[in-house]
Amino acid sequence: MSELAYILLKTLQNKFDEVSVLIEEKNNVMVKLWNSEPSVTQSWLQTSIQLRLAKSRRLWILDYDSKDPLYIVKNAEEVLKLASRIEESELYAPLPEPGKCSPLTNTYDPNVESSMNDPSRLVEEMVDASISQGVDRVAGTLTLSKTRTILVDTRGFECSEEKTGVEAYIRAFKGEFSGHWAHGSTKLDHNAIREVGRKAGYYATITNKKADISPGEYNVVISPLVAGNLFNYLAYMASALWVLIGFSVFAKYAPGEKIGSDVISLYDKPRDVTLPGVRSFDDEGVETFDKPIIENGLIKNVLHNTATASKLQLKSTGNAGWIYPRAWNLEISSGELKEEELPSIVKNGLIITNNWYTRLQNYYEGYFSTVSRDVALLVRNGEIEGHVGRVRIATSYPRLLSSITGATKNRYDIAWWEVRIPTRAPFLAIENIPITKPEA
Amino acid sequence: MEVSEDVLYRIIERGLALGAKYVEVRFQNDYGYSVTLRNNKLMGTGVFKTKGVGIRVLVNGSLGFAATNSLDLEDLYKTVENAYIRAKATSRLRKNPIEFSEERPGRAKYRVVEKKPLQELKIEDAINVLSEIYKNTAGEIKEAKLVSMVKSLDIHIQEKLVITSEGGYVESYIPRLFIGVNSTLLYQGRSLQRRSEFGASRGAELIDEWKPEVKVRDELLNLEKVLIKGTTPPNEKIDVVVGSEVVGLIVHESSGHPMEADRILGREAAQAGESYVKPDMIGKFRVGNEQATVVEDPTIPGSYGFYLYDDEAVRARPRYLYKEGLLYEPLHNRHTARIFNTSSNGAARAMDYASEPIIRMSNTYLTPGDYKFEELIEDIELGLFVKSYMEWNIDDARWNQRYVGLESYMIRNGELAEPVLNPVLEFTTGWFYSNIVAKDRNLEFYPGTCGKGEPSQGVPVWFGGPNVRLGKMRVGVLK
Repeated sequence: MSELAYILLKTLQNKFDEVSVLIEEKNNVMVKLWNSEPSVTQSWLQTSIQLRLAKSRRLWILDYDSKDPLYIVKNAEEVLKLASRIEESELYAPLPEPGKCSPLTNTYDPNVESSMNDPSRLVEEMVDASISQGVDRVAGTLTLSKTRTILVDTRGFECSEEKTGVEAYIRAFKGEFSGHWAHGSTKLDHNAIREVGRKAGYYATITNKKADISPGEYNVVISPLVAGNLFNYLAYMASALWVLIGFSVFAKYAPGEKIGSDVISLYDKPRDVTLPGVRSFDDEGVETFDKPIIENGLIKNVLHNTATASKLQLKSTGNAGWIYPRAWNLEISSGELKEEELPSIVKNGLIITNNWYTRLQNYYEGYFSTVSRDVALLVRNGEIEGHVGRVRIATSYPRLLSSITGATKNRYDIAWWEVRIPTRAPFLAIENIPITKPEA
Repeated sequence: MEVSEDVLYRIIERGLALGAKYVEVRFQNDYGYSVTLRNNKLMGTGVFKTKGVGIRVLVNGSLGFAATNSLDLEDLYKTVENAYIRAKATSRLRKNPIEFSEERPGRAKYRVVEKKPLQELKIEDAINVLSEIYKNTAGEIKEAKLVSMVKSLDIHIQEKLVITSEGGYVESYIPRLFIGVNSTLLYQGRSLQRRSEFGASRGAELIDEWKPEVKVRDELLNLEKVLIKGTTPPNEKIDVVVGSEVVGLIVHESSGHPMEADRILGREAAQAGESYVKPDMIGKFRVGNEQATVVEDPTIPGSYGFYLYDDEAVRARPRYLYKEGLLYEPLHNRHTARIFNTSSNGAARAMDYASEPIIRMSNTYLTPGDYKFEELIEDIELGLFVKSYMEWNIDDARWNQRYVGLESYMIRNGELAEPVLNPVLEFTTGWFYSNIVAKDRNLEFYPGTCGKGEPSQGVPVWFGGPNVRLGKMRVGVLK
């Protein structure tokens, strides 16, 4: 256990009613690629310290990217002086009974750490796999990480756990066409890294024809990258805090109400040891557990910490965040569709392989749009006609979720710039969804 | 500064001794606090401090960056060694060596002057500022229901000391104040949400100048009418006037981002994307008409994106991104300037010590025109005025873009008429800049946090412009 955590706890515990110390020690390396070669190799050796301090139901969150305990204690003492001058926090609830400290095993892969000083071979494998598909150039990143998380608090919880992480993504270009793929894991899997390059190259070269469409409603298949992005936004909105303040599509619904079709389920999976968001305890020392957010189209859970749960006389779901409850890892349910049969599944419509820039007009109603990037394929009579360029999915979450008709059996573990909560996702088939693009 | 210059110079010496061609060391200290209220109840108080050293090295034509928040000399040596070793290891994959443009190294110390220093703004006073916004508004919203108003006030002090192996030395102190307000209105099953923002680089005197309790109230009263009475826009093509808030976002997205030289060259290809602009289009391609002049200027006093020297110790200056419709000057750092055979124009910024300096916007605006607002719309028989937005996005080449209006009104016979709910504008960059019919003389700025890079870096920016009359277009609706 970290000496620093104890020093802070011991020094502050007599001054506040409650003290929690959360420390993350990170050792990361990231190679960023540009025109098939590294643009920069970045390394971080960081210790971040967060304190949750409570006194007379007043609550402070202190966030330090600094290892100087004297400075931190001095700051904490400064905020203590405010206790009599500010009101109680609406989001205060006493720390819960400490959970069991039982760190998950198999979250650390020594091969990740041993590759940090020279990740060039892994980068080469990923790039070569893409180039071998006949692409002109690639961009992307490979990130290797090691994280140790330590939590101690005045209720007696103390625990630490260690994990490694691999995040790899490639965007491959062939003339005006591009393809993208991504992978995230706690383990180093050479095949998965090569698969990132290969699938990005595959989509960049899947067609050399352009096609045109008019705005309208289409049957669409979205890739695991697109599903990952859209369900990441859904998971943010599943945070009980966003629900409480009305900036969530879940605010309109009660648990058990239907928001999607029968075939769609979304799970928070903190205890999945292959996905890099794995955590055995949350920031309040509650043991995490896997749970459905949506199951067979029905809302099952929003994500709580003790404070949000207590407002509704519920129990924490092990998703603290001291202020914002959040998902750890996501898993979207699989189905019976076959990935190799996507064009015939769509029959007439679009296959959208990647997207970005999802934004909402109204979180309460769930109105959003997102823009496709990389290849978006027009399918007619089960045959690929060509790439339609950049188009938008522009609709609401309830309509999107209710229009999902199926999922592939095969799923991928996705993490990249636009999918920050690691997500295991299939291809999803959606019917009659609005697609827009500019007239001029 | 909380680190001695001597230590930073020793890191540079160590990097050079290892064999690096160039070493740049940046001590950065970001600190402040944030208070958040729901309605008039305090949700929480946060205090943050991010302090450490970011180091860049050039080794065998390969660029390495490493960062640590330990100020212990041995840890700092290990950090520069990490930067060196890992950059050298990947240098074998580089076919074209990374080189920097020749620049006169900046040597300066500067700080933003505050009438009421932000560090002296007491948390309880900050809470009162936010509480007043709610109190001043809640009783005024009578027909619709103000379901919730979540407000935050952030003070952020940023101190930097950049020292380079080429003689650069720049020390800066920039205080920033930000207020954000998320509001939800409900009326008979319909809802509307707005995020209002205030941000600038100065002291607490900004609060008196902004008058957030008045501006938020007035805006929500207008939005209440939009929610209750808002109609859908007509289906035929109509004249469209976009307000300065929307114009500011448009120029940020479709002139600022596509004119970032690293994006033009593909360095962000797998993240925020590339650009419709290609290197050989600079100075030749006309994207718009003579009204399409966009300026990017980090030196605007008090601006949210203010700085005088960038994080490569290059002096900042205003630049024309588009000049009378012509692609004029991209934003450069020393790396892209070398490739373009020009000089850096000082656009390298890092969010914190743990972030590499990359090309960023600062304050971007469409230059104003001569008209009064009334003159912009006086001869429009049937049109739409979109004053503010909530949803927006643009494709990764910065061409195909969309904005969904929030406070919007029909224009009938030269005057603003009934409100319109959620009108959708979807157009291309070429269409927008070629269809600027007229601009009024107002120049308003709005704060934003611009995201870019990997790991993603959010940096403060302003964007702005006048109210702009465009040509006719078809307006969409939400589905």
